[in-house]
Amino acid sequence: MKNPSIIIKGVWVAIGTLALVAFPLVAPNRYVVHIVNMAGLYILLSLGLNLAMGYCGQINLALGAFWGVGAYTAALLNTHFGVPIWVNLPIGMVFAGVVGALIALPMLKVRSHYLALVTIGLAETINIILVNETWLTQGPLGISGIQMPTLFGIAIDGDERFYYLILTCVLIGFLVARQIVRHRIGRSFIAIRDDEVAAKAMGVNAAYYQILANSIAGVYCGAAGVLYAHLNTYISPDIFEFKSALYVLTMTLVGGMGSLAGSFVGGLGLPITQELLRGIGNWELVGYGIAIMLVVLFFPGGVIGITRRLQESSGIRWPWARKPTVEPSQLEEPNVSGP
Amino acid sequence: MNINTVSIFLQTIVGGIGIGSLYALVALGYSMQYRSMGLVNFAQGSIYMIGTYFGIIWYQGMVMGLQVPYPIAFLIGIVLNMGLGLILERIFRPLANLDLMLMLLGTIGLGYVLDNMAIITWGAEGFAVKSPLPNTPIIIGGVALLPQMLLLIGVSAILMVGLTVFLSKAKIGKAMRAAASDRETASAMGIPVNTTNAVSFAIGCGLAAAAGILAAPIVYVNPAMGGPVGLKGFAAFILGGAGSIPGAIVGGLVFGVLEAVSAGFVSSAYTKGIAFVVMVVVLMFRPGGIVGEVTVDKV
Repeated sequence: MKNPSIIIKGVWVAIGTLALVAFPLVAPNRYVVHIVNMAGLYILLSLGLNLAMGYCGQINLALGAFWGVGAYTAALLNTHFGVPIWVNLPIGMVFAGVVGALIALPMLKVRSHYLALVTIGLAETINIILVNETWLTQGPLGISGIQMPTLFGIAIDGDERFYYLILTCVLIGFLVARQIVRHRIGRSFIAIRDDEVAAKAMGVNAAYYQILANSIAGVYCGAAGVLYAHLNTYISPDIFEFKSALYVLTMTLVGGMGSLAGSFVGGLGLPITQELLRGIGNWELVGYGIAIMLVVLFFPGGVIGITRRLQESSGIRWPWARKPTVEPSQLEEPNVSGP
Repeated sequence: MNINTVSIFLQTIVGGIGIGSLYALVALGYSMQYRSMGLVNFAQGSIYMIGTYFGIIWYQGMVMGLQVPYPIAFLIGIVLNMGLGLILERIFRPLANLDLMLMLLGTIGLGYVLDNMAIITWGAEGFAVKSPLPNTPIIIGGVALLPQMLLLIGVSAILMVGLTVFLSKAKIGKAMRAAASDRETASAMGIPVNTTNAVSFAIGCGLAAAAGILAAPIVYVNPAMGGPVGLKGFAAFILGGAGSIPGAIVGGLVFGVLEAVSAGFVSSAYTKGIAFVVMVVVLMFRPGGIVGEVTVDKV
């Protein structure tokens, strides 16, 4: 036993794996599993947003549209041609990735609040197409009767079984995102975010990486969309509106922009908290708004920012914390530069 | 082209100018706040909604059964909303120094608070407001115009001219422009920058209330009315050039006319889409907006 930290880590991984695998078996009812499934999809969306916005600094409020493209691709292919989820998943991801790249084109030209508006405009336009092209999308009625998937003859019907599919996708999504962040692409993203002019001077092809970042965000959202369509078997345009982009933005900022762990904290935390607070009615939403403002004003790094700060001041190392090879100061305060 | 098509076209344009004045007033609110504090306030739609209620509750006799005449309700609404603006400015002040993403989220958070307070106070269901002017259209040269629409256009024009004169002639207006162009030098010259910021913010809120109360008899008053108008006002503010006063007016009118023309002659379903696509194209060629931005990003 030469390195005790490996054992400790192993124990944590084992406990974590067990908890994740056992969750649907011990969950009190199916609804709870459904909430966690939706949270899993939000984690995927948030990971996509985090890569584009937290790492590459690309303001993107078109997330709902990417999500919708993935979901509608799956829904149409499945209801018209009976294409299974396993084929829809890559197709949806490619489609949403292409839409992401297209939306990125105006981004090369405009900046900051102009960019925010351009992405809102494009997302609204895609949503209007979904509502109005009734021959294709059935408009506001939505598309129903999407099949739940089967794998080797086992029907993945119901939330409990779907949970494992989403879990797998989220884990793969996380591992891929981690690889992206740690390697050349991620370093280029951070360089562009922190100072685009300097990054260009150092030979980073800023335009290429900005398009790539938005395309990656599209791929993540596309995957979430395909899963959403097959999980709920029914989709309608109102889910893919601007407000869902704001929701994902909120969870990412509350979790921690520029930190992949932040996507998990926000993606799980926000939907579950909302579920717990349900029933207080409008006061709940007032509290929600105040909570957002408090986070923005006092903890701009989100929950992950708080844990990092605690860690630095107390010297405690969280079991899941990585060795501080990446400068934490850079990740903690996500490009808080003046307007 | 026969007379009928021409008159329909003119009517569409006037309708567009009417809705455009509404957007322009809201966009002026964004502009006043942006140029003074550097704040992009996404709660402006909610402030517009609250301002509408502040005026209309008096007109509708919802306060202690008092039936206040429309012009007085209009003034009460503006004054109350300016008061609200002075309070909100204190809350927004720390937000103005943050990164755009955080600013966006913080102001949206405040928007949630305002929207839901409105639902708690006045209920989620809206109501139609009876027009203070007769509902019969006035016909000028074959063009039928609603009196309330003309009132909206006229009063908006007066407010816009008034604001421009105020900023260029009045002492505090000049101080506000100085503070907008260089905060530090202005405060070194003895201009109370925090006060001018608060006044700018309050004026922005007052304009939003004016827009809302003028449009109330045309639109349906409910707590969700702020969202779309806030978004389009923001679009107008960006389209004209962030922080520019003539830009906000031009942006609002262009956006309104664009919407009306695309609704009347191209496709009513794609109104919003066409307006947004044109806007994106304009921004591609003029990234600083039609008139041009006031403050320029530093490298």
